[in-house]
Amino acid sequence: MPYLQLFYRLMFRPLFREPVRLGLTVLAVALGVAVVVAIDLAGDAAAGSFHSSMETLTGDNDLEIVATGGVPESVVRTLATEPYLLRVSPRMEDYAIVRESKQTLPLIGIDLIAESYRYFRPADTEGSARGGNKSGPGSLEDLEDSASIWVGSHLGRRPGEKIDLSINDQSFRSTIRGVYPDQSGGDGAIVMDIAAAQQVLHRFGRVDRVLLKLPPNANHAEWVTRIEGLLPPGVTARPEGTATSENRRMLAAFRWNLRLLSYIALVVGAFLIYNTISVSVVRRRPEIGIVRALGASRFAVLSAFLGEAGCMGLAGSLLGLPLGKAMAVGAVKLMSSTVQSLYVSSRPGPITLTPSSFALAIVVGMGLAMASAISPAREAMFVPPAEAMARGRREFRARLNKTRDLILALVLAVLAVAASFAPAIAGKPVFGYAAALLLIIAAAHAIPALVAFLSRRTSKALGKVFGVEALLASQSLVASLGRTSVLVGALSTAVAMMTSVGIMVGSFRQTVVNWMDMELPADLYLRPAGDPAPDRHPTISLELVDEIANLPGVAAVDRLRAYEISFEGMPATLASVDLRAPDSRRGTDFVSGRPAREVLPKLRGQYNAIISEPFSYKHRLRTGDWLTLPLGESQVRLKIIDVSYDYGSERGYIVMDRDMLLKFLPDPAPSNLAVFVAPGSAVEEVRERIREATAGRPILIFSDRDLRAEAIRIFDRTFAITYALEAVAVLVAVIGIAGALLALVIDRRRELGLLRFLGASTGQIRRLILVEAGLLGLLANLVGFVLGYSLSLILVFVINKQSFGWTIRFHWPVTVLLGALTVVYLATVVSGFYPAWIAVRLNPLEVVHEE
Amino acid sequence: MPILSLHDVRKEYLTDGQRVLALNGVTMEVAAGEFVAIVGRSGCGKSTLLNLAGAMDFPTSGSVTVDGVCTTNLNDAEQTRLRRKKVGFVFQSFQLLHTLTAVENIELPLLLAGEPRAREAAIESLKWVELDGLGDRFPHQLSGGQMQRVAIARALVHAPKIILADEPTGNLDTITGGVVLEFLQRLTHAKGTATVMATHSQEAANLSDTVVRLRDGNIEEVTRR
Repeated sequence: MPYLQLFYRLMFRPLFREPVRLGLTVLAVALGVAVVVAIDLAGDAAAGSFHSSMETLTGDNDLEIVATGGVPESVVRTLATEPYLLRVSPRMEDYAIVRESKQTLPLIGIDLIAESYRYFRPADTEGSARGGNKSGPGSLEDLEDSASIWVGSHLGRRPGEKIDLSINDQSFRSTIRGVYPDQSGGDGAIVMDIAAAQQVLHRFGRVDRVLLKLPPNANHAEWVTRIEGLLPPGVTARPEGTATSENRRMLAAFRWNLRLLSYIALVVGAFLIYNTISVSVVRRRPEIGIVRALGASRFAVLSAFLGEAGCMGLAGSLLGLPLGKAMAVGAVKLMSSTVQSLYVSSRPGPITLTPSSFALAIVVGMGLAMASAISPAREAMFVPPAEAMARGRREFRARLNKTRDLILALVLAVLAVAASFAPAIAGKPVFGYAAALLLIIAAAHAIPALVAFLSRRTSKALGKVFGVEALLASQSLVASLGRTSVLVGALSTAVAMMTSVGIMVGSFRQTVVNWMDMELPADLYLRPAGDPAPDRHPTISLELVDEIANLPGVAAVDRLRAYEISFEGMPATLASVDLRAPDSRRGTDFVSGRPAREVLPKLRGQYNAIISEPFSYKHRLRTGDWLTLPLGESQVRLKIIDVSYDYGSERGYIVMDRDMLLKFLPDPAPSNLAVFVAPGSAVEEVRERIREATAGRPILIFSDRDLRAEAIRIFDRTFAITYALEAVAVLVAVIGIAGALLALVIDRRRELGLLRFLGASTGQIRRLILVEAGLLGLLANLVGFVLGYSLSLILVFVINKQSFGWTIRFHWPVTVLLGALTVVYLATVVSGFYPAWIAVRLNPLEVVHEE
Repeated sequence: MPILSLHDVRKEYLTDGQRVLALNGVTMEVAAGEFVAIVGRSGCGKSTLLNLAGAMDFPTSGSVTVDGVCTTNLNDAEQTRLRRKKVGFVFQSFQLLHTLTAVENIELPLLLAGEPRAREAAIESLKWVELDGLGDRFPHQLSGGQMQRVAIARALVHAPKIILADEPTGNLDTITGGVVLEFLQRLTHAKGTATVMATHSQEAANLSDTVVRLRDGNIEEVTRR
């Protein structure tokens, strides 16, 4: 207890003498903690619902039977007639769009006669289907009617109401026969009888999935083996929920990278805590000497300063937790939009603060603060009592060994370069991130030498050009080199993050733009309406395709059909293409560098495939390798003839000839059409003809310009969360600068008071502080830009490549960078206004005289 | 006309809710070139008197006139201009900026005033205090006496009408302090600048033309030599 009392009086209570500075420091820590918590919560929420929309209404099943293109109905019969205590539940799965609200909902066909009791509570089945109350399935006629549907209660509809739906390229007017209570999470699937679903989806003879409930206490692995023995080749049995696990695995790299980006704000915060505790140690040297003379041990001194940092960290954590939860609401929207665009359709789960969130906040906030304080606290514990108690005001300057630090910086930089060449570990770019961290630490060590060099060489020139305030400000930065270096380190880290991510995103964007120039050679593109998602491939009927292909002005129509598959435990997309337009009109960027006219003909009529770069990277497959796919009831071997660049999704693509695929999956309806307009025909006229031909059908028509614009819009939306993280890091740094400048003003009050005695006006004092802030901003921008460029090389060529497999071509987004650096500089100057105001209000009489 | 004139000056402070009467009806005049020592115990009001004389503070009542300008109604900018032109300060602990060399410290008042040829004036001022070979040294490279001479040079560089010195030898040994005082006295008479010096030291007081003894905010005695 005495120690706690002493701690309270000597360390805790004095913190409140400078409430503004304390507040700024705690706020900086809180923001760093909030960002980490927000990304963690949002990631859980965005990924948590991957039990994906299609996992809704699964009940308590154990296994699922899947096959590319659907499971033959014969399999259902086989399983249902086996002498096992199995519950067999076939399902049809797709999506429907509610025309009125444009909401996309899962569409699920189940055997309502056999299974309705599992989804509709007994109380709900009372009342007639035509009544106004919630009810279960009605008459047999209702079940067979493809217009009969059942909806979740969250849609707010009542039995008997009509609802307009778009399913693939067809419009339907459906009748709601009943409303079932939504499960928690409210996926709100539209339910039909399975036969009716096969009818509206035009998928006969096959079901999308078969769910199995095993006997009680069954050994799952044994049952999987037993059941696979009953299945034809190409049809697989696996644990139910495998799709969810695969999606989660696929998302791991995305979440990992985002999580690490969120830690940048913490790194910036670490600099600031280090600075705060260093200032505290310097100011309290006499007190340290006194308490040591009175009997305090070195360990007690160390603990005191660690405790001071811990208090700030704790306060930051407690503030950061609710702040993080609030930020998570925005973050989950941004992340979900990215997940939806690049990975899989899903609905985000709720954001829930759990004991682990609380623990994360405390560990991150307090841990960071105390770790940052170790170095200055160690310095404090070695303060000799006699020296600290010496009378007379003597400015104590932290000893900086600039030469040694510069050498250390070079060594770290070399290590960083070496680390950047190391391969990924379990698909994670661990060495890439280590290289980035080494570079940041190297820069921090090089800063003192750089600041001293630049200030000494420019202070006189600055004085001549900008007046005595600039001269004094420049020299003051060198005089407090230890402190200046830490501040420049903090802000430059934030600037470096902003620069490196800006270059990476700018490069990625330009790469995607260039890629689209090659990949979108057609004049018009068609797909069924609805939000695009990598795992949704609604189809267009063959009759409509033939009609479009025969329209005047249409030279050729390419058809693409996509399926979702699982390959080596990861989701992927299998696409078949029927390329009718001349190959001379295509670009398609291949890794081999070969032109499309050389590669694409090799697809036709052959068991060949082209894979996308992300697929190639994830599964370590190259040109010349073979891969085996379960197609229909067969296992089909395909030879990889080339690897194409693809930035449409991270899932990975396998492309094969459509005619070859139709041998195994007899579903000719394409998902997308690319229309080539005949020479001499106007694109707008052809577009109008297509619009007329598709009137009344939910089909979207895009020009190549529209498609590019939509792709870029999705791209920009994808990186919105990254920009938000950058902004927080810069904000943390600027807040820290404001607090540190305030401390500088307070510690230099005697000097500032003296300047007033010597004839400095209040305006000159104000300008002095603002010029110091401006010089800090300039130095930080310079260091941050160089560091950021170096980090961008690691981001583009190492981290991105090892995480996602994409090749990005380097590009300088000059305008964006200039704008961002200007904003940071201005923000730094603005952060000096409050300290300048305090400086002006200092009473010189109080700070100079020694009576 | 006196360079400095205080007429019935009272100065009250409020410290932690308590009223403190620092000066109680002080009246005095200082002529150009006069060297005045203000003596008295700690807390008698010496520093307060210097602050009022240097237009760093205002009297609670009464008036302070510096070279014909009454300071009572001056705003901050006017006070600053007055100090730049007419007042020089010398402090007990020298108060040099450790980031500037000796000559840079000396030219600082001129730079703050935006005066041209600050460097030339500073070098000249350095010669007055016989430190012309040490202009490029930093304060930590100078002895205490040398630092105080630099401070004196800085106080004189802009040719003020009055120098206010607060215990200028307080941090110096006897011999060094004596040297510094001699410089101060010599330059005061040579430049025609009035000097008002607050001091505990009897030796310092002995060098002055006039000794004003303060006690509890009142002038107890004025001795002219």
